[in-house]
Amino acid sequence: MSPSFGRGAMTNSWQDMMNSECFLIAGSNCAENHPIAMKWVNRAKAKGAKIIVVDPRFTRTAAKADIFAQIRPGTDIAYLGAMINYYIQNKLYDETYVLNLTNALLKVSKDFKFEDGLFSGFNSEKKKYDYASWAYQLDENNKPVKADSLDDPDCVFQLLKKHFSRYTFDVAEKITGIPADKIKLIADTFAAAKPGNIFYALGMTQHTTGVQGIRCYAIIQLLLGNVGKAGGGIQALRGEPNVQGSTDMANLNANLPGYLPYPTNAQVTLHDFAVKNGSVQHKPMVALLKAWFGKNATPENDYGYGWLPKNNPDNMPVQSQFFNWMEKGQFKMLFNWGSNSTVSIPDRKMVARGLSKLEMLVVADIFNTETAQFWREPGIDTKSIKTEVIFLPAAFVYEKAGTMTNSSRLVQWKERALEPLNGCLPDLDMIDLIFKKMRELYAGSTDPKDEPILKANWDYDHDGEASALKVLQELNGYDDNTGQLTASLADYLNAPIGTVSTGCWIYAGVTPPGKNLADRRDNADPTGLGLNKEYAFAWPGNIRVLYNRASCDANGQPIDEKRKLIWWDAAAGTWTGNDGPDVVDKKKGPDTPEGKQAFRMNPEGVGRLFTASYTSGVSSSPVPADSIAAVPVRGAGMTVDGPMPEFYEPIESPTNNLLHPKVQNNPCAKIVSTEFGDPKDYPYVLTTYGVCEHFCAGAITRNIPFLNEVMPEPFAEISKNLGKKLGIKDGDRVEISSIRGKLTVHALVTDRIQTLKINGKDTETIGMPWSWGFASLNPGPSTNNVTMNACDPGAGTPEYKCCLVNARRA
Amino acid sequence: MMTKKKVFVDTSLCTGCKACSVACKAWNDLEAEKTQLITSYQSQASTTYNTWTYISMHEKYENGKMEWLMFKHQCYHCAEPSCLKACPVQAIYKTESGYTLIDHEKCIGCGYCVANCPWSVPKTNPELKKTFKCTGCIDRVENGIKPACVYTCQPGALHFGEPAEIEALAQTRLAEVKKDHPKAQLYGDNAMGGTTYLYLLLEDPEFYGLPVNPTVSSSLVVWKDWVQPYGIWLIPLAAAAAVGSFFTTRIINNANKSKGGDLHA
Repeated sequence: MSPSFGRGAMTNSWQDMMNSECFLIAGSNCAENHPIAMKWVNRAKAKGAKIIVVDPRFTRTAAKADIFAQIRPGTDIAYLGAMINYYIQNKLYDETYVLNLTNALLKVSKDFKFEDGLFSGFNSEKKKYDYASWAYQLDENNKPVKADSLDDPDCVFQLLKKHFSRYTFDVAEKITGIPADKIKLIADTFAAAKPGNIFYALGMTQHTTGVQGIRCYAIIQLLLGNVGKAGGGIQALRGEPNVQGSTDMANLNANLPGYLPYPTNAQVTLHDFAVKNGSVQHKPMVALLKAWFGKNATPENDYGYGWLPKNNPDNMPVQSQFFNWMEKGQFKMLFNWGSNSTVSIPDRKMVARGLSKLEMLVVADIFNTETAQFWREPGIDTKSIKTEVIFLPAAFVYEKAGTMTNSSRLVQWKERALEPLNGCLPDLDMIDLIFKKMRELYAGSTDPKDEPILKANWDYDHDGEASALKVLQELNGYDDNTGQLTASLADYLNAPIGTVSTGCWIYAGVTPPGKNLADRRDNADPTGLGLNKEYAFAWPGNIRVLYNRASCDANGQPIDEKRKLIWWDAAAGTWTGNDGPDVVDKKKGPDTPEGKQAFRMNPEGVGRLFTASYTSGVSSSPVPADSIAAVPVRGAGMTVDGPMPEFYEPIESPTNNLLHPKVQNNPCAKIVSTEFGDPKDYPYVLTTYGVCEHFCAGAITRNIPFLNEVMPEPFAEISKNLGKKLGIKDGDRVEISSIRGKLTVHALVTDRIQTLKINGKDTETIGMPWSWGFASLNPGPSTNNVTMNACDPGAGTPEYKCCLVNARRA
Repeated sequence: MMTKKKVFVDTSLCTGCKACSVACKAWNDLEAEKTQLITSYQSQASTTYNTWTYISMHEKYENGKMEWLMFKHQCYHCAEPSCLKACPVQAIYKTESGYTLIDHEKCIGCGYCVANCPWSVPKTNPELKKTFKCTGCIDRVENGIKPACVYTCQPGALHFGEPAEIEALAQTRLAEVKKDHPKAQLYGDNAMGGTTYLYLLLEDPEFYGLPVNPTVSSSLVVWKDWVQPYGIWLIPLAAAAAVGSFFTTRIINNANKSKGGDLHA
């Protein structure tokens, strides 16, 4: 979503779902995995909203749908592309929105091409694209050239039209298995009922084409004018209560907190960093360095920029690649916090092989997980393992204070409800103790490499333990001039560079002096729109519906009388409203260039149908001038595998790519597994998922007897046709095997999965949950024995959702 | 004084997440049982003395359309409960709130109520020789808190309140779902003098394995309304029958066990 809208976050909120007229739930099984969503979906449904569910199987969410379509796993882009094509060909798009709030009119370089499944600029050796030909045509002021009409052959809209013209309903049917008339019904239903809302979760991201699938959603929502409106948008339903918080705090290896780009080894000085990433990243970087190094961060020493380790972009493994690197001796030690990789990594045998080569493994968890005792797995030769394993018993969520940031960017503070048992500690206390001990050991060192540890600002003590509130206050940041906490996001933005600190600039304003806005619990909802402005704090600046400028017309007045979010108050000369206005400057009205921008985090200020490479402006703000290179303002977020989505088959697929047989898979995909099955030997498509009753790798839930009672064992869901063919009856045991491994589970023979007709051939889907492992109160075989490890090139998410398997009665 | 209460079970909104069953066990301190999948995603076959509410799942595929319907089982808390009628020791009683409860001081675990409930809800713990079932969370309700299952239900399938308000809601919802589900109907309002738990079903009761017209068995009527009131001398015989019934229940349970539904022991 970041390359499309400017922020990598769910656009609206949970409560806001009740404002929708239509839901496209595709890649999310929210009734099972986000039960709270159904509370709000059901409220919308009671008011007449339609629910469309697209899924490889008939789920508990599908059971509530008005329209259900069973899709072959990994083929979403084919039917979504057909929807885009249909909307463009039949002019079903919101023309005013497309003209004013998207980059549809901007002209793209004449060098841009798409041929035989590849975009221009592909380097087949590196499996990477050079973005040069994906640029706009620029005028003398570095501004993209704007076409006079949507008919200009160079404009984004025409490129989009041409690109998706290949995606007819018939082609989509052959690829996905969804009947053409049903795809048309979905397209018509979704376009007719506005605002329309799209939900996705891991069903969309766990593919080698995950990011581009979500790009399809962004294009559909921009064409229909559904972004920035109550009841509209795209909801990325996060898998854990604090996944949004963890990505805000940079759990992706190319980020620093607040989505700052991580400096690479080519960016030796702060100035280099600013030249590469734009002045908009310069200020938060300085503020971050001030938060991390305190008084040691000065203009003279580049605010300690040199103390940050730099990334080598050619040498950055994502998590699922770590274990192969460990096996090769790249890592000596692993701190494993709240992750149960032994169960959760696809093609999981590589995990134990990797962990076995470490010198030391530290696991902090609330239960003795499979990862914490990986050597105990049956069949592992313990004699050859020298890894020293240290287990740190962790406090449970209710045994510690702190915040969790949910899918809708809502930062919620909670107090400790129970004292931790038997010396278990909150993660924060463990890290605090380890860091202080480490600093003690480094004391007196003059080695430059030890400076980051000795110079770090580390002061979280409160009443003898580490205080989560002090951490949150560090994220909020301080103003040098007053010595006080920064009062608001605006105060941070208006302060001169180098005079404020913040550990995560998007959290600025969460703890103004004397207050903790994340701790607010006022549930009042005077508008009935579910904005709940006085409940906790949503980043940025307590805005509940992102890009809400798009809910207003050219005069700054709400388009939808029933769902008023913000408006321009001409008398007062300010943007105001029920929600916090997501505008460049509250004082700049709808007649100014700034006041027209609905997507202010994009360098063009508009939503991006085509993710062109573009860097806006040349900054006038002062930047350390130790080189003469001019510092631009803002670079665009890029999609590494193409400026427009393209359908590629999953890495393991039962059929050939209909659109371009020579380029079967995503050419940029990161391949981690070493063995791949042939459809002749492994004819069935396996898709994996979680169930309502268990959570992720099951480390917690398999140790809760009540949950083991309601979902006692893993299973494989197969169609009645396949059951008949293989002689498997409901309740039998079935062995599922891939070229990488196998497991035997309970068979559910069900009508909820049907045989699909793919490219003229009957194709079977098998579904399996993956939450079991060899330990816990309720052990069970791990589905990740058979899954495949190949990742989306942009997000690094593995393709858990499709691989090829065989099945037999066990 | 506690007024009468009702619970509306809107099966059209139930997502089968089973949080009601877990919340019930957590609140009432009931033990988890060892289970296996039975059919669909269902692992609990019936109520037991440790499982007072559970979800059954029902799959139907017709004319290319899939339906996956959920049904929440628990005590219906009938206005005229046959279990109460059947109990030889007057251990079963009605509260002002309309709930049907078992007084475990009096209960002898004879199993009469088990055999005479049209839905086979109560279940006897053979070791304790006491019979258990859903209490409607009377301890919560009398303290102004919703029953645990209602309180925990996220999709809004369970509603608790005054009878008039609940009945009106049920009628509204019935009218809404009828558009897509012509067989939709309310269930429980005409049974056993009216039940405290009122259901909105999307299919006929048989589809869910429910009796269409739950009634008190005629032999029980003869026994309790005619013989017992006029024949105080029959009480020792009733006790003997109770003992017999206990063994009958055991035999039924053993028969279930051999079918693979080992959920009672």
